[in-house]
Amino acid sequence: MNKVINFYKRNLKEILRDPIIYIFCLGFPVAMFLLFYIINKFSNGNTPTFEVLSLLPGIIVFSYSFVMLTLAIVVSKDKQTFFLKRLYSSPMKSYHFILGYFFVGLIVGLLQTLVCIITGFIISLISNVSFISISSVLLLIIAQLPVLITNIFLGILFGTIFNDKSAPGICSVFISLSGILGGCWMPIETMGAFELFCRFLPFYPSVYIGRIITNSTNAIGITYSFNNVAFLGLIPIFIFMLGSIILTVVAFKKNMVSDK
Amino acid sequence: MNIITIENVCKNYKTKKALDNVSLTIKKGELFGLLGVNGAGKTTLIKILCGLTYKTSGTIMINNFNLDKEIDKIKEIIDISPQETSVANNLTVKENLEFFANIYNNNNANTVNKIVDIFNLNEVVNQRAKTLSGGYKRRLSIAIALISKPKILFLDEPTLGLDVFARRELWNIIKKLQKDITIILTSHYLEEIENLCDRVAILSNGKLLKTGTIKELKQMTKAKSFEDAFIKLVEAKSE
Ligand SMILES: Nc1ncnc2c1ncn2[C@@H]1O[C@H](COP(=O)(O)OP(=O)(O)O)[C@@H](O)[C@H]1O
Ligand SMILES: [Mg+2]
Repeated sequence: MNKVINFYKRNLKEILRDPIIYIFCLGFPVAMFLLFYIINKFSNGNTPTFEVLSLLPGIIVFSYSFVMLTLAIVVSKDKQTFFLKRLYSSPMKSYHFILGYFFVGLIVGLLQTLVCIITGFIISLISNVSFISISSVLLLIIAQLPVLITNIFLGILFGTIFNDKSAPGICSVFISLSGILGGCWMPIETMGAFELFCRFLPFYPSVYIGRIITNSTNAIGITYSFNNVAFLGLIPIFIFMLGSIILTVVAFKKNMVSDK
Repeated sequence: MNIITIENVCKNYKTKKALDNVSLTIKKGELFGLLGVNGAGKTTLIKILCGLTYKTSGTIMINNFNLDKEIDKIKEIIDISPQETSVANNLTVKENLEFFANIYNNNNANTVNKIVDIFNLNEVVNQRAKTLSGGYKRRLSIAIALISKPKILFLDEPTLGLDVFARRELWNIIKKLQKDITIILTSHYLEEIENLCDRVAILSNGKLLKTGTIKELKQMTKAKSFEDAFIKLVEAKSE
């Protein structure tokens, strides 16, 4: 465990000393919130998707894709600068590395979640809507953990298999997917076949479950409830989580002894 | 006593035969040079010895551990300063040293300070690694490799890209390193090998041409200078 903590500390320093984290992981969610708040205001506040409590789970899930990007950048850079190669010849094992990266992703992700919640709270004050209770806030954080974990491992995975030039590109594909297919700012429930497709991926079900917790209303005026969409949605959420963990472990082990 | 025994080692990359039946022994406590032009196979051999890539065939024993079976034990007693100066760029010099010391549970102020002194890093100890000059970065990279108190230290092209002054300074440091470490140093600079190494192996195109002291290699080829000896050996093989 000492080796994990040691590596975790280094990764945290490495990330916190790079301005990119503040732009992507903290600035971006706040900016999105403000943007949709303004849009909603100028459209006379009649877009349910843009209501604070509906936005909150969507932005949280979307912002996790920036955790993925951050990790992919760190891991691929560590590879590119041969920092990892050197550590591979030390007594560190693959799980030390993976956990050391994972915990940093977890911390950054949780901080982001907090920033999103605080921003949402402030906007709810400004626009005079009541916010969710503390227990709902906690439940929301826990409910979004699986999709956060998925994003963290995907980030480590992409950093491991791609170089520092192509990893960010691959991630931006996932960032777009997470944004569009998560239904953060699109009323997916009105889109028929597209909705069905989104239910096979983890993003939309995660946002959906989040919206049950924030007690928000969908585009056709129905309050989100724990129905089949949420229930069956748990399947892709957990399959993607397990899949990303397994793939990361396999890829990382392979990278430790390689011809590259 | 031999600390490293390499027998009939071959390495085939997909497109290239990088090591061709290399056999070699390295004695405990010596500063051993691997000399060869770019692409000779030096880095490949070092990577195999450190468990960073697989060999295609052959046997390797390090400190009586079999590389194929006991790589974990080997990793406890070796360290490498790779050809690329790989350090944590956003950490300071001190943080880098502490980070690597922690991996080996060696982190105490004494060890770190001693290494800082040996490598003359006092001036830059609180500077982030990415802001260091080439010479300082190399020194840090090698200092990091020593913090684990390895029995065997691999230095892959330690002075690559340094100016003459930085190179001289580094040579002096390497010479002073305590004699109970075995150092394997690769270089394509003849004067570096001549200056530092007790014994030399000459690699060319993946083949090991000759092993011996500088003096022996000169006598063998009846050459006046080490450079002449090197050229004669490499050319004789390629004819
Ligand atoms: N990952 C690799 N894949 C294919 N060929 C490689 C790889 N690494 C090195 N080589 C080739 O193997 C040969 C030896 O390379 P290397 O060991 O790096 O030489 P040196 O360190 O002596 O300059 C070179 O021809 C090089 O192009
Ligand atoms: Mg090399």
